[in-house]
Amino acid sequence: MNFWEKLAKIDRRIIYLMLLLVVMIPIIVPFKLHPKPMPPVEHLFNAIDAIPSEKALVISVDYTPDTEPELHPMTYALLRHAFAEHKKVGILCISLLGLGLAQDALSTVSNEFNSVARTHADSIIYGRDYVFWGFQASPLVPILGMGENIANVFPVDYYGNQTDTLAMMKKIKNYNNVGILVSISASDTPFWYIYFAQTSFGVRIGVGSTAVQAADYYPYLNSGQVTGMMSGMKGAAEYEEMVAKKFGISGRRKATEAMSSQTAAHLWIMFTIVLGNIGYFALRRRKK
Amino acid sequence: MKIRLPLLLVLITGIFGVLTYVIPHSAIQNADNEFRNSALVIIGAFSLVLGVGSIIRHHIDKVQRKREHWEYSWVLLLSLLITAIIGLFGGIEGNGHLPTHIANFHFDIQTIFLRMDVPLGATMFSILAFFMSSAAYRSFKARSLEATLLLFAAFIVMFGSVPLSAYVSPKIPHFAEWILTVPNTAAKRGMGFGIALGGLATSLKIILGIERGWLGGTK
Repeated sequence: MNFWEKLAKIDRRIIYLMLLLVVMIPIIVPFKLHPKPMPPVEHLFNAIDAIPSEKALVISVDYTPDTEPELHPMTYALLRHAFAEHKKVGILCISLLGLGLAQDALSTVSNEFNSVARTHADSIIYGRDYVFWGFQASPLVPILGMGENIANVFPVDYYGNQTDTLAMMKKIKNYNNVGILVSISASDTPFWYIYFAQTSFGVRIGVGSTAVQAADYYPYLNSGQVTGMMSGMKGAAEYEEMVAKKFGISGRRKATEAMSSQTAAHLWIMFTIVLGNIGYFALRRRKK
Repeated sequence: MKIRLPLLLVLITGIFGVLTYVIPHSAIQNADNEFRNSALVIIGAFSLVLGVGSIIRHHIDKVQRKREHWEYSWVLLLSLLITAIIGLFGGIEGNGHLPTHIANFHFDIQTIFLRMDVPLGATMFSILAFFMSSAAYRSFKARSLEATLLLFAAFIVMFGSVPLSAYVSPKIPHFAEWILTVPNTAAKRGMGFGIALGGLATSLKIILGIERGWLGGTK
């Protein structure tokens, strides 16, 4: 086997090993890359920034543990943005496995803010600043039901409180009181929100999706049915960057930290494609 | 009766579902709300019970018949039982009746979820990166004009999806964004129309009882 044949037939174990190394090395020896926010992320950030005080940001945590590294930083970044400006936040889950992840994000980010809060007004208080509605079976039930009355869909919250007795819920009744609803998902849940909540009730929809899924939402971004979007870990890193720049929040930015590994992995995959093509063309020329 | 009753139910509920979108009368809308907020929630809850029952039955059967990899079924059944007991009696974060910590060792349902389920799920998903890199190397070849165009677009989008591209040239991420916003949208919209028309036709066939595959292959 000559050099060109070897180049066209690299053992898959070598490709796996190299990928492992290019992902691991930037984690051990990190180099910082600061992403520049793209228009879909800027639009989402501006829409959340513009939510008036009488309306809420609703986050639908619709992802599962398998996509946690890519999508969980989005929930963190959205919560930091909302809490930094004392915007009201409502959280629900269409996916059962999202419950634990939403709970983790809420407790981590609210603790971050409360650890530096000086007064009661500065603190992030459950029921006043945010409510965790929890899970409701069958996606259509919460998606359409919240257009009429959120407390009817979630009579009790995740912690067992009567939803309509919570202070925040006195003003947040249905989609009319929602500034924007952001569905973070690795499945088709954002489509349900676009088809039913946006079309039927006109509520603004934001999307947080995995990078491989992002292409599916561009037609809806173009039509204005989706207000803004974070796509993949880079989208999350861009949002983290915007939040950090505006509010100077020093909490851990997992997506930005992962950018060096992701960059190295992308470059490695591109390099293997180039190698494969060089080998392919060299062999084709020899055959001729 | 076994066939006619489900067909009749689908016909009535299907037509009712369509009517709620075209008749804004309060009687229809109230009935729709009631059906959605009560019946659908009950059906959803039952499907969860059915799902858990089905997985238990499947794995007990596997253990009893000693089918291939039956040992792993024990792992699943025991994990299901233990997490169910902890979840039901230990509360979400260890605030239930069942003690869920021994000194500093916590095993409440939230800790189990974050420390076991999340890393295991993320590990399984991350394995995809290895397969993708190997598959890209083997099959992404510029064999024709179409394949070359696809390769070029993939390169731009892949490179535009990492922050380094903006350091090389600020135009690269914007070019990647343009590929997704214009050619991608054009193709997706065409496909979307096709899928929507196909879905509409199939839904009508199911509502009218022409398509009966969902009945389990009954003619």
